Amino acid sequence: MSDKQRITVTVNDQEHDLLVEPRTLALDLLRDELRLTGTHAGCEQGVCGACTILVDGKITRACLMFAVQLDGCSVETVESLGSPDGTMHPIQRAFSENHGLQCGFCTPGMLMVTQELLRREPRPDAETARAAIAGNHCRCTGYQHIVASVCAAGRAMSEAEHQHVDRQDVEHQGARA
Amino acid sequence: MTDTTTTDPAAATGEGFRWIGKPVKRKEDPKLVTGRATYVGDVNPPGMLHAAILASPHAHARIVSIDTSRAKALPGVVAVLTGAEAAEVVGPMTAFCAEPVPQHAIAVEKTRYWGEAVAAVAAVDRYVAEDACRLIDVEYEVLDPLVDMVEAMDPAAVKVHDTLEGNVVFHADKSYGEVDADFARADRVIRTHARWHRMGAQPIETAGAVCSWDPFTASMTIWSNSSFYNFLPWSFASMLGISTSRMRMIPCAVGGSFGSKHLLNKVIAISGALTKVTGKPVRYLEDRLENIAANDNVGCDRIYDGELAITDDGEFLSLKLHCIDDYGAYFQFGPGQHGCALAQPVGPYRINSLQYEVSAVLTNKVQQGFFRGAGADHGNFILERLVDAAADELGIDRAEIRRRNFIQPDQFPYKIPSGNVYDSGDYEGVLDRALTLADVEYWRAEQKRLRAEGRYIGIGLATCQERTAYNATEWWFLYDNPPLPATSTPESIKIDIDAFGGVRAELGCPVWGNSPQTVASQVIAEEFGIDPADVSIEHNDSTSGAISAGPGGSRLTVMLSGAARGAAGQLREKMIRIAAHAMEVSPEDVELSDGVFRPRGVPTHTGLTFADVAMKAHLFKQTNPEGESSGLVATYTYDHPLASMPTEDRKDTGAFYPIVSHACHIPIVEVDPESGLVTMLKYYAVNDCGTVMHPKLVEGQVIGGIAQGIGAALMEEYRYDEQGALISGSFREYLMPSSHEVPEIVLEHQETPSPVTPYGVKGAGEGGRLIAPTAIAAAVDDALKPFGVWIDELPMTPERLVEVIARAEDRAEDEESGR
Amino acid sequence: MKPAVFSYQSPRTLDEVFGELAEHGSDARVLAGGQSLIRLMNARTETPGVLVDINRIPGLDEVTVEDGVVRIGALVRQRTSEVSPVIREHTPVFSEAGAEVAHVSVRERGTVVGSIAFADPCAELPTALVALDGEIVARSTRGERVIPAEQMFLGPYRTALAEDEMAVEARLPALPTGRTGSAFLEITRRHGELPVCGVASILRLDDDGQITEARISVGAVGDRPQRARAAESALLGRTTDPEVWREAGELAAREIEPRPTVHGSSAYRRHLASVVTRRSLSRAAARALEGAHHV
Repeated sequence: MSDKQRITVTVNDQEHDLLVEPRTLALDLLRDELRLTGTHAGCEQGVCGACTILVDGKITRACLMFAVQLDGCSVETVESLGSPDGTMHPIQRAFSENHGLQCGFCTPGMLMVTQELLRREPRPDAETARAAIAGNHCRCTGYQHIVASVCAAGRAMSEAEHQHVDRQDVEHQGARA
Repeated sequence: MTDTTTTDPAAATGEGFRWIGKPVKRKEDPKLVTGRATYVGDVNPPGMLHAAILASPHAHARIVSIDTSRAKALPGVVAVLTGAEAAEVVGPMTAFCAEPVPQHAIAVEKTRYWGEAVAAVAAVDRYVAEDACRLIDVEYEVLDPLVDMVEAMDPAAVKVHDTLEGNVVFHADKSYGEVDADFARADRVIRTHARWHRMGAQPIETAGAVCSWDPFTASMTIWSNSSFYNFLPWSFASMLGISTSRMRMIPCAVGGSFGSKHLLNKVIAISGALTKVTGKPVRYLEDRLENIAANDNVGCDRIYDGELAITDDGEFLSLKLHCIDDYGAYFQFGPGQHGCALAQPVGPYRINSLQYEVSAVLTNKVQQGFFRGAGADHGNFILERLVDAAADELGIDRAEIRRRNFIQPDQFPYKIPSGNVYDSGDYEGVLDRALTLADVEYWRAEQKRLRAEGRYIGIGLATCQERTAYNATEWWFLYDNPPLPATSTPESIKIDIDAFGGVRAELGCPVWGNSPQTVASQVIAEEFGIDPADVSIEHNDSTSGAISAGPGGSRLTVMLSGAARGAAGQLREKMIRIAAHAMEVSPEDVELSDGVFRPRGVPTHTGLTFADVAMKAHLFKQTNPEGESSGLVATYTYDHPLASMPTEDRKDTGAFYPIVSHACHIPIVEVDPESGLVTMLKYYAVNDCGTVMHPKLVEGQVIGGIAQGIGAALMEEYRYDEQGALISGSFREYLMPSSHEVPEIVLEHQETPSPVTPYGVKGAGEGGRLIAPTAIAAAVDDALKPFGVWIDELPMTPERLVEVIARAEDRAEDEESGR
Repeated sequence: MKPAVFSYQSPRTLDEVFGELAEHGSDARVLAGGQSLIRLMNARTETPGVLVDINRIPGLDEVTVEDGVVRIGALVRQRTSEVSPVIREHTPVFSEAGAEVAHVSVRERGTVVGSIAFADPCAELPTALVALDGEIVARSTRGERVIPAEQMFLGPYRTALAEDEMAVEARLPALPTGRTGSAFLEITRRHGELPVCGVASILRLDDDGQITEARISVGAVGDRPQRARAAESALLGRTTDPEVWREAGELAAREIEPRPTVHGSSAYRRHLASVVTRRSLSRAAARALEGAHHV
């Protein structure tokens, strides 16, 4: 029979030393072992995208990867978003403000896709946003509000970034003066 | 008790409300966007086992023998149950049909559809449970499968159930009004056929249950994504063979339903049987293949022949509908979906009389459940196709013929021939607005321009009803002797205000993807003059006594508003009495505004705050009005505001779905006639669901419904091979729209308030899907007019369209060659 | 839906992989991107006893050009290939086909060589490979051989790879420069799905606009991607003309034996073979006439 394998994986900035059966899917490692149940199982066939996570920054279907393959990797899940003080991540806030979710089951996958997209493309237009989420099924929203949420998140984050830079400039100038 | 059935005059415009109609923050979101919501797959009590099932590889087979010994011997396996063994601990699944069609969650003696469970395993994890399933040896005697509903109607056909005389499990032929006379005076009769194939709800979360049996107290705790835990909890208890008073059903966050998660008997029965034999909590959560193949997911599968009697002026007189409906292997909900279709068979049109004939047929496919639209979607399709055919035959514009036949605003409440009542509407207003919104003139010019380039775009139009807020009579009035002639569809809420004035509400319904928390908080805030953000919302389990039918039939916003307003009203009255007593004025002279109680007309009075009065209510009994009990808690059950009984002779169904929304959809499509691919270019809709409770939430429901309607129109279909094996059993074969297939949807609202509901709201949950398929069908045959194409079958898969075009071309050639 | 038990190997060298394959034969499967294999393992359609994960072997993720041949290593992800300037420059039809494969999330992990070795008869990359007269380098403990694309695909999910062989590289001969045009076109029932018909075509014109070379690879219609030889021959010496494409399309449709699936009957697929071939040729010709072979 199969022997358990030792892996070291960083999930949402926390390192874990784990023993896993080779056949355990990355999805089940997150949900059952680490109790990070925000990542959802939709089809286990790689079609629906509900289990989308980021592995070393790349969008990945957690149902189409074995846990053992995560050895040495850095994983981000929906639980990485938002702060312990209750401040939502701008992506989460944009989804809520634009009604980009209804039942919420596909939402963690959508959020992670958005996270990856905005790192590459900080200000996506509607067409880019629509293309980015095409691999993730939502049965509730008809996608329109999700597209709006992705664009709004991009705007909000870019603006926050600019304000941040402006503030730094001001502080810098202040220091010089 | 306060009267909650009168309408605010302010409802007519939606103005005058502080929170109703406002885009307040959605209360459900924080848990959902942070991954903190608890879905049934996240429920994990200590010691929980995981279940898996062995599915039948045959559509129709006798189970000769099952040997589970190898499975039982596998390390990690705790229990294995065959259908016969499970039947010793749990009963057959609840069915609402009058006919003897018993259904077990795990097949006993015979399997009747591909994918039906024949054994179940509980093991330490799902991996091992699945390993064990493959070690179960079943010997089958394969029987002839019934795949075609028309063949199944043959009295000589093999029977799905030996308890029945044949496979036509139910037949009714009802006439309402003077059908023969109306047909006799018609100038002509428009006829069309319509075929609507089997489709499924396919929520992204499958169905599941965690059942935990405590043999020492004989009590059962159930977590599931069923929505009927506060409506028919006794039906689960009786199926599980346990005491109704020792069962507690706890709702979970639900990852989409679209009608498919009402009862969910199968998952509850399977995990219930396994927990009873193991004494440990058991989770049975379907995987995707099981959910598609073997759940309450599937909508109606109908063949229609329709006849519309009209005058040469385009006036509609009478309608005949003949329908065959493939129910699959069981008859769980009886002919209820035809009850539903009878809510609005004549649409928004003045049609004097109706004949409705239905043959419900059993075949070797998974049984029908409910799917958004619940039979009225198909009804809209056949009716709107007849209307389009009438327009085309008379050479009248498709919009104009509708205009001529609309029920007029001054005719409400309007009783349709079968007996249902429409509460209110302004159909011409919606149509005019939609035509303007869509700029149909522009698109006609585009169509002409592009046709010159060899491109085919089409403009569709449909004007349809969305019956909302059902009453239970729809399930049974087609029966002369119904098994359960229930007449209630209540919705309850419990509100309590703590000593500091904190407001808490407990709902009897789950979150299905709709927004009951937000709606309840809006209503409560409206009634108390506080901020919705200050209302805390929880969900009751089945032990609260707060009976609630929950979501379904586009009822929840209407019914929950009634419940919340009722409970809030009771508490407000009590607080006013206490405040009046303290301020030494009479209760009639106290007003509650912005959370402060003051003598009416004295805005300078410091008054008493909400918290002041709450504290008095909780702790100052002796200085409160005499006879006033301490505390502030109210449970209110809101019943249907307009339902009535069917008549004994069933010539009149009574009002059972009378809160009627309406919409006009105008999709713009492009068809590639060579490949048969349809591209949605743009979609316009004007929706009238009375007072809009929350613009964003209604938009979400309508747009989401339209997306499902695009799926229904173009791609979604259950496909079985000749042996009855499901060949569209995964998301790779059962195709649903992705973000690429859904165009930009432009939506506007007209608000024609209901005169009978709180604030004038009407339901909006199903309209998108009820209307989009027929609107898109109209757009496609508009695009393909040069070919003479007529769409009468959904979905319009590319292959079907190529065939339809080829047939139309052949027909044209035949005609040209003089036939 | 969970995979059956298997033993997991994660070698660091190819020789170790060949050793495992030699030892376990058909009971072993190579895991690269896993975007098809793990799906089938979840459904237990595939139940290998040994899974040989090649993802930790260095040096397999490179795209290089040598003597006019693009070489794609066994761990080059589809996403990498799709956006590779080298591949776009030398074999643009491969980039064009690659952009149609599923969704970005799948292409991020899925590999080019894995898709070829999996041999889904509908898949885009095998179709493009056949049009390009590409080759697969197969290696085992017994040595190395080069399999021409057309001999690689035997039927649905069946290739010429022996049980102990692993596809280590795909080779794509660069398209000639000058008046050469190529195109990949497909019909899918939903964005991101496998096509019901996909056609990769390559046309080369002389200075008079006459066709001197034509290659047509039809995927998703038959049981494997196939060259439409009769259509190709009929094109030689012809000029670029809609009627010519139409004739070629009809010839192509006749020479491919269609295979029905839930997404399209044989008749529909044959019909599409004609339509898509015609359209693909028309697009390739337009590009050839532009003079360069860019996409």
